[in-house]
Amino acid sequence: AMGYFRNFVGGKTLTKEDTEKAIAGIMTHLLEKNVAREAAVQICESVQTSLTGQKTGSFQSTESLVRIAMEDALRKILTPTTSLDLLREIGQVGESESRPYVISIVGVNGVGKSTNLSKICFFLLQNKLKVLIAACDTFRSGAVEQLRVHARNLKELSEREGGVVELYEKGYGKDAANIAKDAVAYAAGQQFDVVLIDTAGRRHNDQRLMSSLEKFAKFANPDKILMVGEALVGSDSVQQARNFNAAFGRDRKLDGFIISKCDTVGDMVGTLISMVFATGIPVVFLGVGQNYTDLRTLNVKWAVGLLMS
Amino acid sequence: MVLADLGRRINAAVHDLTHSNLVDEKAFDSMIKEIGNALVEADVNVKLVASLRKSIRQTVNFKELGPGVNKKRIIQKAVFDELCRLVDSHSEPYKPKKGKANVIMFVGLQGSGKTTTCTKLARWYNARGFKACLVCADTFRAGAFDQLKQNATKAKVPYYGSYTETDPVKVAKAGVDKFKKERFEIIIVDTSGRHRQEAELFAEMVQIQEAVQPDQTIMVLDASIGQQAEAQSKAFKESADFGAIVITKTDGNAAGGGAISAVAATKTPIVFIGTGEHILDMEKFEPQRYISKLLGMGDMQGLVEH
Ligand SMILES: Nc1nc2c(ncn2[C@@H]2O[C@H](COP(=O)(O)OP(=O)(O)OP(=O)(O)O)[C@@H](O)[C@H]2O)c(=O)[nH]1
Ligand SMILES: Nc1nc2c(ncn2[C@@H]2O[C@H](COP(=O)(O)OP(=O)(O)OP(=O)(O)O)[C@@H](O)[C@H]2O)c(=O)[nH]1
Ligand SMILES: [Mg+2]
Ligand SMILES: [Mg+2]
Repeated sequence: AMGYFRNFVGGKTLTKEDTEKAIAGIMTHLLEKNVAREAAVQICESVQTSLTGQKTGSFQSTESLVRIAMEDALRKILTPTTSLDLLREIGQVGESESRPYVISIVGVNGVGKSTNLSKICFFLLQNKLKVLIAACDTFRSGAVEQLRVHARNLKELSEREGGVVELYEKGYGKDAANIAKDAVAYAAGQQFDVVLIDTAGRRHNDQRLMSSLEKFAKFANPDKILMVGEALVGSDSVQQARNFNAAFGRDRKLDGFIISKCDTVGDMVGTLISMVFATGIPVVFLGVGQNYTDLRTLNVKWAVGLLMS
Repeated sequence: MVLADLGRRINAAVHDLTHSNLVDEKAFDSMIKEIGNALVEADVNVKLVASLRKSIRQTVNFKELGPGVNKKRIIQKAVFDELCRLVDSHSEPYKPKKGKANVIMFVGLQGSGKTTTCTKLARWYNARGFKACLVCADTFRAGAFDQLKQNATKAKVPYYGSYTETDPVKVAKAGVDKFKKERFEIIIVDTSGRHRQEAELFAEMVQIQEAVQPDQTIMVLDASIGQQAEAQSKAFKESADFGAIVITKTDGNAAGGGAISAVAATKTPIVFIGTGEHILDMEKFEPQRYISKLLGMGDMQGLVEH
């Protein structure tokens, strides 16, 4: 019984030492949830600092205090400061500037850029929009045909609902930035509501490929640049997010993340935390499967629940 | 490069300890802690790291070390042995034989690099005098057959696939039968990406395997995979009993500790590593040589047993 009571710190001022053990415990917990160590260390430090010097209520254990503070910290990290209403923004741009709204998708190899682009397209088509998909991965074998299949499927699926989709392609080997620019001009001439630009996967430590993104952003001038990061990735998530966020020049940042393959990690959704923590850029979509309907917006409560479970 | 940073940090930790004048228990503990942190940062499974730390502690048994023994050497050896145990599965991968049909099937998570690696491997065997070919049994992913076809064409490797047949089991069987008849020696079967949470996808993998009876099943793992690596690879091992691992995208920034945890969890050797998107970007992997190169940078050199 004594052991049970010993953990209670009712009515005292917390010192750093008081929370040491509970912080270490929750740190391991975060690591096991696939939060990158760099992020986990800093989040734990700030939680510990926020608790130090605090007066505690009666019958509170340090564990529960740390838990509550951690939940709070995670919620704050994941909660975006502004909410994205894509459909409204598209409507506004179309009305006030009478031009198509441009979204481009970037990320490292194989994370799910083309698939999640197609899912976003499906969502837009369901809302009766006219969408142009621009095939700007001119490098990877089959990349153009992959989008051709998606465009064909999506056309079939949305015909009844009134959405329109077309593929803009110029084959392989050409400069992606130029194709993107031409696609946007074409879309403007043909009264498309949205242009979705697919790009080739690139390693974030490949100087040459990363630096070509700056020109790409200038040429395509997208309203939104979304980066796909996959839930499977470990510590590298932090550097991936940082390097892509820095790739578009001094005045252009990422606008949001799509965290893909969330269905493959169970409750290990730490990548969400790592990428947002590293950049302050919000998560706008989650990929939760391989079909067109497997796209979600982020439910912060759900994510924090999984991380704390 | 994969694991280079990790090697450097572990070396530094051991070096710091063994070059200080006072090798006391406190210094020993902090070395173990630093090694553990470096491993977790490299995405090695958190539980695995905990057991590795315990193991080093037990092997060295600091309290019982007599005054006469060479503490530094004992500590170095314990660290080296534990790391070897991580990467070296001590099992031999399948060796294809000339003059017969060797069927090799690829499995793995979505987007890990299977299709790319299939072509690399076919070309690798082609260059070594085998008659190699490719079968596309991914009927799910959009553009999968086009991707394999374009890769195969670039690599000058014969291929088989179908735009109309939707059953991957049928395509796999038809392709393997055809190439066996034509006396191909290396028949590589590419399959679609899948994950343990979807039972149907795993059942499909087992059916393809039953249909083509591979001599070797290879699991492809992305070097950047994190803490989910162990659970996924174990599940693939249980269903598909793969006999070798290829780690892809080692040209990236990731340390590769997740993929290495998969080696430890499944007792399966890494046979190749992917080092880029092009057909020639692949290297053979030899665990022992790799570790000694990794850790041999510092004081560990003398500890490698030949
Ligand atoms: N389980 C699951 N699989 C996904 C998800 N998103 C994408 N995938 C799969 O991941 C694989 C790669 O997807 P792609 O869209 O081709 O990825 P990419 O980033 O465009 O790849 P590259 O263009 O080669 O760099 C495919 O097998 C997809 O079906 C997801 O949310 N969940
Ligand atoms: N940088 C780098 N990229 C690689 C390597 N291996 C594969 N890739 C890239 O990773 C992406 C995915 O590769 P795929 O071969 O399509 O992967 P997959 O496992 O067949 O994907 P699914 O069939 O959708 O499950 C492509 O963009 C490849 O070019 C590698 O060693 N290094
Ligand atoms: Mg793509
Ligand atoms: Mg594939």
